Amino acid sequence: MNRVFALAVLAAVAVALPVHAQLGNIGNILEFGKKAVEVGTKVQEATKEYSIDEEIALGEGITSGFLGATKLHPDERLQRYVNRVGRWLASQTEKPDLPWTFGVIDTETINAFAMPGGTVIVSHGLVKRLASESELAGVLAHEIAHVLRRHQISAIQSGAWGDVGKSVGAEIIAQKVGRNDVLGLKTQLANFGADLVRDGLFMKPLDRGLEYEADRIGVVIATRGGYDPYGLVAVLTMLATVKPEESGASITFSTHPSPADRIAELEKVVPATLEQYARQPQVDGRFRQAVGMK
Amino acid sequence: MIRSLFSLAFAVALLLPGVVLAQEQAFANRATELKDRPSFDGRTLSPVPDGTAVKVLSRQGGWTQVDMGGNKGWIRVFHLRFPSTVEQSSGGGALSGLTSIFGFGGGKRGPESSKVATIGIRGLTPEDFQSSSPDPAALKKLQSYRSDRASAERFAKEAKLAPVRIDYAKGS
Repeated sequence: MNRVFALAVLAAVAVALPVHAQLGNIGNILEFGKKAVEVGTKVQEATKEYSIDEEIALGEGITSGFLGATKLHPDERLQRYVNRVGRWLASQTEKPDLPWTFGVIDTETINAFAMPGGTVIVSHGLVKRLASESELAGVLAHEIAHVLRRHQISAIQSGAWGDVGKSVGAEIIAQKVGRNDVLGLKTQLANFGADLVRDGLFMKPLDRGLEYEADRIGVVIATRGGYDPYGLVAVLTMLATVKPEESGASITFSTHPSPADRIAELEKVVPATLEQYARQPQVDGRFRQAVGMK
Repeated sequence: MIRSLFSLAFAVALLLPGVVLAQEQAFANRATELKDRPSFDGRTLSPVPDGTAVKVLSRQGGWTQVDMGGNKGWIRVFHLRFPSTVEQSSGGGALSGLTSIFGFGGGKRGPESSKVATIGIRGLTPEDFQSSSPDPAALKKLQSYRSDRASAERFAKEAKLAPVRIDYAKGS
Protein backbone atom coordinates (compact mmCIF):
# COMPACT_ATOMS: atom_id res chain seq x y z
CA MET A 1 0.00 0.00 0.00
CA ASN A 2 2.72 2.38 0.94
CA ARG A 3 4.45 1.68 -2.30
CA VAL A 4 1.42 2.71 -4.21
CA PHE A 5 1.24 5.91 -2.30
CA ALA A 6 4.92 6.62 -2.77
CA LEU A 7 4.46 6.11 -6.47
CA ALA A 8 1.56 8.47 -6.42
CA VAL A 9 3.68 11.05 -4.68
CA LEU A 10 6.48 10.83 -7.16
CA ALA A 11 4.11 10.96 -10.07
CA ALA A 12 2.32 13.93 -8.61
CA VAL A 13 5.56 15.71 -8.02
CA ALA A 14 6.53 15.20 -11.63
CA VAL A 15 3.30 16.68 -12.84
CA ALA A 16 3.05 19.53 -10.42
CA LEU A 17 6.17 21.18 -11.68
CA PRO A 18 7.54 22.52 -14.86
CA VAL A 19 9.53 19.99 -16.79
CA HIS A 20 13.15 20.84 -17.20
CA ALA A 21 14.94 19.23 -20.02
CA GLN A 22 18.38 19.71 -18.51
CA LEU A 23 18.05 16.78 -16.16
CA GLY A 24 15.04 14.75 -16.93
CA ASN A 25 14.48 12.20 -19.58
CA ILE A 26 11.81 13.83 -21.68
CA GLY A 27 10.61 10.57 -23.10
CA ASN A 28 9.99 9.11 -19.70
CA ILE A 29 8.30 12.24 -18.48
CA LEU A 30 5.86 12.18 -21.36
CA GLU A 31 5.30 8.49 -21.06
CA PHE A 32 4.39 8.65 -17.43
CA GLY A 33 2.85 12.06 -17.36
CA LYS A 34 -0.61 10.69 -18.02
CA LYS A 35 -0.44 8.31 -15.12
CA ALA A 36 0.86 11.10 -12.97
CA VAL A 37 -2.15 13.26 -13.74
CA GLU A 38 -4.46 10.50 -12.56
CA VAL A 39 -2.80 10.25 -9.19
CA GLY A 40 -1.88 13.88 -8.79
CA THR A 41 -4.95 14.74 -6.79
CA LYS A 42 -4.00 12.18 -4.21
CA VAL A 43 -0.80 13.91 -3.35
CA GLN A 44 -2.00 15.07 0.04
CA GLU A 45 -2.87 11.65 1.33
CA ALA A 46 0.14 10.23 -0.37
CA THR A 47 2.37 12.59 1.54
CA LYS A 48 1.05 11.32 4.80
CA GLU A 49 1.60 7.74 3.78
CA TYR A 50 5.28 8.10 3.00
CA SER A 51 6.67 5.32 5.15
CA ILE A 52 9.40 5.63 7.74
CA ASP A 53 11.57 3.21 5.79
CA GLU A 54 11.20 5.29 2.68
CA GLU A 55 11.97 8.44 4.61
CA ILE A 56 15.12 6.83 5.98
CA ALA A 57 16.20 5.61 2.54
CA LEU A 58 15.72 9.04 1.05
CA GLY A 59 17.61 10.61 3.94
CA GLU A 60 20.53 8.25 3.51
CA GLY A 61 20.76 9.18 -0.14
CA ILE A 62 20.69 12.86 0.73
CA THR A 63 23.31 12.39 3.44
CA SER A 64 25.51 10.41 1.11
CA GLY A 65 25.25 13.15 -1.50
CA PHE A 66 25.86 15.78 1.14
CA LEU A 67 29.00 14.03 2.36
CA GLY A 68 30.25 13.99 -1.19
CA ALA A 69 30.39 17.78 -1.01
CA THR A 70 32.09 18.10 2.34
CA LYS A 71 34.08 16.09 4.85
CA LEU A 72 33.38 14.71 8.28
CA HIS A 73 35.48 16.31 10.99
CA PRO A 74 38.34 13.95 11.88
CA ASP A 75 37.85 14.23 15.66
CA GLU A 76 36.03 10.98 16.43
CA ARG A 77 35.72 11.84 20.09
CA LEU A 78 33.84 14.98 19.16
CA GLN A 79 31.65 12.98 16.75
CA ARG A 80 30.68 10.54 19.48
CA TYR A 81 30.10 13.30 21.96
CA VAL A 82 27.69 15.07 19.63
CA ASN A 83 25.93 11.77 19.01
CA ARG A 84 25.38 11.22 22.72
CA VAL A 85 23.93 14.69 23.20
CA GLY A 86 21.73 14.26 20.14
CA ARG A 87 20.60 10.76 20.98
CA TRP A 88 19.67 11.85 24.48
CA LEU A 89 17.56 14.68 23.08
CA ALA A 90 15.93 12.49 20.45
CA SER A 91 15.00 10.05 23.20
CA GLN A 92 12.81 12.78 24.68
CA THR A 93 10.67 12.98 21.56
CA GLU A 94 7.76 11.16 20.00
CA LYS A 95 10.14 9.35 17.63
CA PRO A 96 12.84 7.99 19.92
CA ASP A 97 13.57 4.98 17.73
CA LEU A 98 14.52 6.53 14.42
CA PRO A 99 18.11 5.68 13.46
CA TRP A 100 19.29 9.00 14.91
CA THR A 101 22.67 9.94 13.57
CA PHE A 102 24.62 13.10 14.28
CA GLY A 103 27.74 14.41 12.67
CA VAL A 104 30.16 17.31 12.58
CA ILE A 105 31.49 18.40 9.22
CA ASP A 106 34.93 19.85 8.79
CA THR A 107 34.08 23.33 7.58
CA GLU A 108 34.29 26.74 9.16
CA THR A 109 30.97 27.74 7.64
CA ILE A 110 28.33 28.27 10.32
CA ASN A 111 25.49 25.92 9.57
CA ALA A 112 23.40 22.96 10.59
CA PHE A 113 21.29 20.55 8.59
CA ALA A 114 18.59 17.98 9.10
CA MET A 115 18.02 15.10 6.72
CA PRO A 116 14.84 13.02 6.52
CA GLY A 117 14.88 9.92 8.67
CA GLY A 118 16.95 11.22 11.56
CA THR A 119 20.34 12.49 10.44
CA VAL A 120 21.53 15.84 11.78
CA ILE A 121 24.73 17.58 10.75
CA VAL A 122 26.41 20.59 12.33
CA SER A 123 29.44 22.41 11.02
CA HIS A 124 32.59 22.66 13.06
CA GLY A 125 32.44 26.42 12.51
CA LEU A 126 29.19 26.48 14.44
CA VAL A 127 30.23 24.06 17.17
CA LYS A 128 33.36 25.98 18.04
CA ARG A 129 31.36 29.18 18.52
CA LEU A 130 29.10 27.60 21.11
CA ALA A 131 29.74 28.05 24.80
CA SER A 132 28.05 25.05 26.39
CA GLU A 133 26.34 21.73 25.87
CA SER A 134 22.98 23.44 26.38
CA GLU A 135 23.70 25.60 23.33
CA LEU A 136 24.67 22.54 21.30
CA ALA A 137 21.47 20.93 22.57
CA GLY A 138 19.51 23.95 21.35
CA VAL A 139 20.95 23.58 17.85
CA LEU A 140 20.51 19.80 17.69
CA ALA A 141 16.99 19.98 19.10
CA HIS A 142 16.02 22.51 16.43
CA GLU A 143 17.26 20.11 13.77
CA ILE A 144 15.56 17.16 15.45
CA ALA A 145 12.31 19.14 15.27
CA HIS A 146 12.70 19.44 11.49
CA VAL A 147 13.04 15.66 11.30
CA LEU A 148 10.09 15.00 13.62
CA ARG A 149 7.79 17.25 11.63
CA ARG A 150 9.11 15.95 8.33
CA HIS A 151 9.71 19.44 7.09
CA GLN A 152 12.18 18.21 4.50
CA ILE A 153 9.88 15.53 3.17
CA SER A 154 7.02 17.93 2.72
CA ALA A 155 9.29 20.47 1.07
CA ILE A 156 10.50 17.88 -1.39
CA GLN A 157 7.05 16.48 -2.04
CA SER A 158 5.35 19.81 -2.33
CA GLY A 159 7.84 20.71 -4.98
CA ALA A 160 7.97 24.21 -3.59
CA TRP A 161 11.70 24.06 -3.19
CA GLY A 162 12.44 24.22 -6.85
CA ASP A 163 11.99 23.09 -10.35
CA VAL A 164 14.93 20.79 -10.70
CA GLY A 165 13.70 18.07 -8.39
CA LYS A 166 10.59 17.64 -10.43
CA SER A 167 12.41 16.24 -13.35
CA VAL A 168 14.50 14.07 -11.09
CA GLY A 169 11.25 12.80 -9.66
CA ALA A 170 10.06 11.97 -13.12
CA GLU A 171 13.10 9.85 -13.70
CA ILE A 172 12.36 7.88 -10.62
CA ILE A 173 8.80 7.30 -11.67
CA ALA A 174 10.00 5.91 -14.92
CA GLN A 175 12.34 3.45 -13.33
CA LYS A 176 9.95 2.51 -10.63
CA VAL A 177 7.02 1.94 -12.92
CA GLY A 178 9.19 0.04 -15.34
CA ARG A 179 10.52 -2.41 -12.80
CA ASN A 180 7.83 -2.44 -10.18
CA ASP A 181 10.52 -3.50 -7.77
CA VAL A 182 10.08 -3.18 -4.03
CA LEU A 183 13.76 -3.07 -3.11
CA GLY A 184 14.41 -0.89 -6.11
CA LEU A 185 12.28 1.79 -4.54
CA LYS A 186 14.73 2.17 -1.72
CA THR A 187 17.61 2.34 -4.06
CA GLN A 188 15.87 4.76 -6.31
CA LEU A 189 14.89 6.90 -3.36
CA ALA A 190 18.48 7.00 -2.20
CA ASN A 191 19.60 7.95 -5.68
CA PHE A 192 16.89 10.54 -5.77
CA GLY A 193 18.20 11.96 -2.50
CA ALA A 194 21.73 12.23 -3.82
CA ASP A 195 20.43 13.93 -6.95
CA LEU A 196 18.47 16.39 -4.84
CA VAL A 197 21.70 17.49 -3.20
CA ARG A 198 23.37 18.11 -6.56
CA ASP A 199 20.34 19.89 -7.86
CA GLY A 200 20.23 22.51 -5.19
CA LEU A 201 18.35 21.17 -2.21
CA PHE A 202 20.72 22.91 0.19
CA MET A 203 20.61 26.18 -1.65
CA LYS A 204 16.94 26.88 -1.26
CA PRO A 205 15.72 29.48 1.18
CA LEU A 206 13.85 28.37 4.23
CA ASP A 207 10.22 28.84 4.93
CA ARG A 208 10.32 31.05 7.96
CA GLY A 209 7.20 29.48 9.45
CA LEU A 210 8.93 26.11 9.56
CA GLU A 211 12.01 27.65 11.11
CA TYR A 212 9.99 29.27 13.85
CA GLU A 213 8.18 26.01 14.47
CA ALA A 214 11.48 24.13 14.74
CA ASP A 215 12.72 26.79 17.18
CA ARG A 216 9.62 26.44 19.37
CA ILE A 217 9.79 22.66 19.39
CA GLY A 218 13.56 22.69 19.78
CA VAL A 219 13.57 24.68 23.01
CA VAL A 220 11.04 22.29 24.49
CA ILE A 221 13.06 19.21 23.50
CA ALA A 222 16.24 20.69 25.00
CA THR A 223 14.35 21.51 28.19
CA ARG A 224 12.91 17.99 28.33
CA GLY A 225 16.49 16.74 28.18
CA GLY A 226 17.21 18.67 31.35
CA TYR A 227 19.13 21.51 29.74
CA ASP A 228 18.83 25.23 30.30
CA PRO A 229 15.98 26.18 27.96
CA TYR A 230 17.80 29.29 26.79
CA GLY A 231 20.57 27.48 24.91
CA LEU A 232 19.00 28.11 21.53
CA VAL A 233 18.29 31.74 22.38
CA ALA A 234 21.96 32.13 23.27
CA VAL A 235 22.99 30.61 19.95
CA LEU A 236 20.70 32.97 18.05
CA THR A 237 22.17 35.85 20.00
CA MET A 238 25.64 34.74 19.00
CA LEU A 239 24.55 34.40 15.38
CA ALA A 240 23.17 37.91 15.42
CA THR A 241 26.59 39.25 16.23
CA VAL A 242 28.77 37.08 14.02
CA LYS A 243 30.75 39.07 11.53
CA PRO A 244 30.21 37.28 8.26
CA GLU A 245 33.58 38.17 6.82
CA GLU A 246 35.19 36.40 9.75
CA SER A 247 32.93 33.42 9.84
CA GLY A 248 32.58 32.30 6.27
CA ALA A 249 28.88 32.62 6.87
CA SER A 250 27.95 35.27 4.39
CA ILE A 251 26.02 33.01 2.07
CA THR A 252 24.02 31.71 4.96
CA PHE A 253 23.00 35.13 6.11
CA SER A 254 21.40 36.25 2.92
CA THR A 255 18.16 34.32 2.82
CA HIS A 256 16.72 33.60 6.22
CA PRO A 257 14.76 35.01 9.08
CA SER A 258 17.20 37.11 11.04
CA PRO A 259 18.31 35.79 14.42
CA ALA A 260 16.66 38.85 15.96
CA ASP A 261 13.31 37.88 14.43
CA ARG A 262 13.71 34.33 15.66
CA ILE A 263 14.53 35.50 19.17
CA ALA A 264 11.44 37.72 19.11
CA GLU A 265 9.31 34.76 18.02
CA LEU A 266 10.72 32.63 20.81
CA GLU A 267 9.93 35.29 23.35
CA LYS A 268 6.26 34.70 22.62
CA VAL A 269 6.42 31.11 23.82
CA VAL A 270 9.45 30.61 25.98
CA PRO A 271 8.70 32.52 29.18
CA ALA A 272 5.26 31.05 29.68
CA THR A 273 6.25 27.44 29.32
CA LEU A 274 9.90 27.25 30.19
CA GLU A 275 10.92 29.94 32.63
CA GLN A 276 10.57 27.58 35.58
CA TYR A 277 13.34 25.42 34.08
CA ALA A 278 15.76 28.30 33.61
CA ARG A 279 18.08 26.96 36.27
CA GLN A 280 18.65 23.64 34.56
CA PRO A 281 22.33 23.09 33.78
CA GLN A 282 24.21 24.52 30.82
CA VAL A 283 26.93 21.84 31.10
CA ASP A 284 29.89 23.83 29.92
CA GLY A 285 32.84 21.91 31.40
CA ARG A 286 32.20 18.70 29.49
CA PHE A 287 31.42 20.67 26.36
CA ARG A 288 34.70 22.58 26.46
CA GLN A 289 36.60 19.38 26.88
CA ALA A 290 34.82 17.71 23.97
CA VAL A 291 35.42 20.55 21.54
CA GLY A 292 39.00 20.97 22.66
CA MET A 293 38.64 24.35 24.34
CA LYS A 294 40.86 25.02 27.29
CA MET B 1 13.66 39.81 -5.77
CA ILE B 2 13.82 40.77 -2.15
CA ARG B 3 16.52 38.25 -1.71
CA SER B 4 18.59 39.81 -4.44
CA LEU B 5 18.27 43.16 -2.78
CA PHE B 6 19.45 41.71 0.47
CA SER B 7 22.34 39.99 -1.18
CA LEU B 8 23.30 43.29 -2.67
CA ALA B 9 22.86 45.13 0.60
CA PHE B 10 24.88 42.47 2.23
CA ALA B 11 27.68 42.76 -0.27
CA VAL B 12 27.75 46.50 0.31
CA ALA B 13 27.85 46.04 4.06
CA LEU B 14 30.86 43.81 3.75
CA LEU B 15 32.73 46.51 1.95
CA LEU B 16 32.13 48.93 4.79
CA PRO B 17 33.70 47.45 7.91
CA GLY B 18 32.34 50.29 10.01
CA VAL B 19 28.82 48.94 9.63
CA VAL B 20 29.66 45.90 11.69
CA LEU B 21 29.54 46.82 15.34
CA ALA B 22 31.54 45.41 18.18
CA GLN B 23 30.46 41.95 19.12
CA GLU B 24 29.75 42.62 22.78
CA GLN B 25 27.48 45.55 22.22
CA ALA B 26 23.71 45.40 22.59
CA PHE B 27 20.84 47.83 23.00
CA ALA B 28 17.72 47.73 25.09
CA ASN B 29 14.86 47.05 22.69
CA ARG B 30 12.29 48.43 25.14
CA ALA B 31 12.22 50.21 28.46
CA THR B 32 13.36 47.63 31.01
CA GLU B 33 15.29 47.19 34.24
CA LEU B 34 18.79 46.38 35.36
CA LYS B 35 18.61 43.70 38.06
CA ASP B 36 21.23 42.80 40.64
CA ARG B 37 20.90 39.09 39.82
CA PRO B 38 19.55 36.95 36.98
CA SER B 39 16.03 36.65 38.31
CA PHE B 40 12.69 38.42 38.16
CA ASP B 41 12.97 38.55 41.94
CA GLY B 42 16.25 40.42 41.82
CA ARG B 43 16.51 43.95 43.08
CA THR B 44 16.19 46.64 40.44
CA LEU B 45 19.43 48.58 40.27
CA SER B 46 18.29 51.05 37.66
CA PRO B 47 15.70 51.63 34.99
CA VAL B 48 16.97 51.03 31.44
CA PRO B 49 15.47 53.34 28.84
CA ASP B 50 14.64 51.96 25.40
CA GLY B 51 17.71 52.10 23.17
CA THR B 52 20.30 52.17 25.95
CA ALA B 53 23.67 50.81 24.82
CA VAL B 54 25.19 48.13 27.04
CA LYS B 55 28.20 45.84 26.92
CA VAL B 56 27.41 42.15 27.19
CA LEU B 57 29.43 40.23 29.79
CA SER B 58 27.80 36.83 30.18
CA ARG B 59 24.58 34.88 30.10
CA GLN B 60 22.66 32.85 32.62
CA GLY B 61 19.34 31.29 31.76
CA GLY B 62 17.11 33.97 30.31
CA TRP B 63 19.32 36.75 31.60
CA THR B 64 22.27 38.62 30.18
CA GLN B 65 24.87 40.21 32.39
CA VAL B 66 25.74 43.65 31.09
CA ASP B 67 27.86 46.65 31.82
CA MET B 68 25.71 49.74 31.48
CA GLY B 69 28.00 52.73 31.71
CA GLY B 70 29.99 51.16 34.51
CA ASN B 71 26.93 49.82 36.24
CA LYS B 72 26.93 46.02 36.17
CA GLY B 73 23.75 44.01 36.37
CA TRP B 74 21.35 41.69 34.58
CA ILE B 75 18.86 42.38 31.80
CA ARG B 76 16.31 39.96 30.42
CA VAL B 77 17.75 38.40 27.26
CA PHE B 78 14.65 39.22 25.23
CA HIS B 79 14.96 42.88 26.14
CA LEU B 80 18.18 43.30 24.22
CA ARG B 81 18.71 43.92 20.57
CA PHE B 82 22.00 42.85 19.12
CA PRO B 83 23.57 44.75 16.27
CA SER B 84 22.74 42.42 13.49
CA THR B 85 24.81 41.73 10.48
CA VAL B 86 21.57 41.62 8.54
CA GLU B 87 19.04 44.15 9.67
CA GLN B 88 15.97 42.61 8.11
CA SER B 89 14.79 39.18 7.29
CA SER B 90 14.28 37.97 3.82
CA GLY B 91 10.89 36.86 2.63
CA GLY B 92 11.73 33.19 2.73
CA GLY B 93 8.56 32.17 0.95
CA ALA B 94 9.69 28.94 -0.56
CA LEU B 95 10.17 25.81 1.47
CA SER B 96 13.72 24.94 1.97
CA GLY B 97 14.98 21.50 1.55
CA LEU B 98 16.97 20.68 4.57
CA THR B 99 18.79 23.63 5.88
CA SER B 100 17.93 24.90 9.24
CA ILE B 101 19.98 27.20 11.36
CA PHE B 102 20.95 28.86 8.16
CA GLY B 103 20.71 27.53 4.70
CA PHE B 104 22.85 28.37 1.82
CA GLY B 105 21.54 31.50 0.32
CA GLY B 106 21.05 32.63 -3.19
CA GLY B 107 18.25 30.21 -3.95
CA LYS B 108 18.39 31.32 -7.54
CA ARG B 109 21.35 30.56 -9.65
CA GLY B 110 21.67 33.99 -11.09
CA PRO B 111 24.06 36.84 -11.14
CA GLU B 112 23.03 37.86 -7.63
CA SER B 113 23.76 34.57 -5.98
CA SER B 114 27.08 34.21 -7.71
CA LYS B 115 27.92 37.69 -6.48
CA VAL B 116 27.29 36.60 -2.92
CA ALA B 117 29.15 33.37 -3.38
CA THR B 118 32.35 35.14 -4.33
CA ILE B 119 32.61 37.12 -1.11
CA GLY B 120 35.23 35.40 0.94
CA ILE B 121 33.43 32.17 1.61
CA ARG B 122 35.43 29.45 3.16
CA GLY B 123 34.04 26.01 3.54
CA LEU B 124 30.88 24.92 1.81
CA THR B 125 29.67 26.65 -1.29
CA PRO B 126 26.76 25.95 -3.61
CA GLU B 127 29.31 24.79 -6.15
CA ASP B 128 30.49 22.09 -3.76
CA PHE B 129 27.01 20.62 -3.81
CA GLN B 130 26.50 20.94 -7.53
CA SER B 131 29.58 18.89 -8.25
CA SER B 132 29.19 16.36 -5.45
CA SER B 133 28.99 12.66 -6.00
CA PRO B 134 27.55 10.47 -3.24
CA ASP B 135 30.00 9.18 -0.68
CA PRO B 136 28.59 5.93 0.78
CA ALA B 137 31.83 5.26 2.71
CA ALA B 138 31.51 8.57 4.54
CA LEU B 139 27.86 7.77 5.26
CA LYS B 140 28.93 4.49 6.81
CA LYS B 141 31.56 6.21 8.88
CA LEU B 142 29.04 8.78 10.06
CA GLN B 143 26.66 6.03 11.10
CA SER B 144 29.42 4.29 13.03
CA TYR B 145 29.43 7.25 15.45
CA ARG B 146 25.84 6.64 16.50
CA SER B 147 25.02 6.32 20.16
CA ASP B 148 22.44 3.91 21.48
CA ARG B 149 19.70 5.04 23.76
CA ALA B 150 21.10 3.44 26.91
CA SER B 151 24.56 4.97 26.64
CA ALA B 152 23.01 8.35 25.86
CA GLU B 153 21.07 8.01 29.08
CA ARG B 154 24.19 7.23 31.09
CA PHE B 155 25.88 10.17 29.45
CA ALA B 156 23.04 12.45 30.51
CA LYS B 157 23.17 11.20 34.07
CA GLU B 158 26.87 11.94 34.29
CA ALA B 159 26.07 15.60 33.77
CA LYS B 160 23.12 15.45 36.16
CA LEU B 161 20.67 16.08 33.37
CA ALA B 162 17.24 15.13 34.65
CA PRO B 163 14.52 14.71 32.02
CA VAL B 164 11.32 16.69 32.53
CA ARG B 165 7.92 16.16 30.98
CA ILE B 166 6.53 19.19 29.21
CA ASP B 167 4.35 19.68 26.17
CA TYR B 168 5.27 21.58 23.06
CA ALA B 169 4.10 25.15 23.07
CA LYS B 170 0.68 25.78 21.60
CA GLY B 171 0.77 26.16 17.87
CA SER B 172 3.79 23.91 17.48
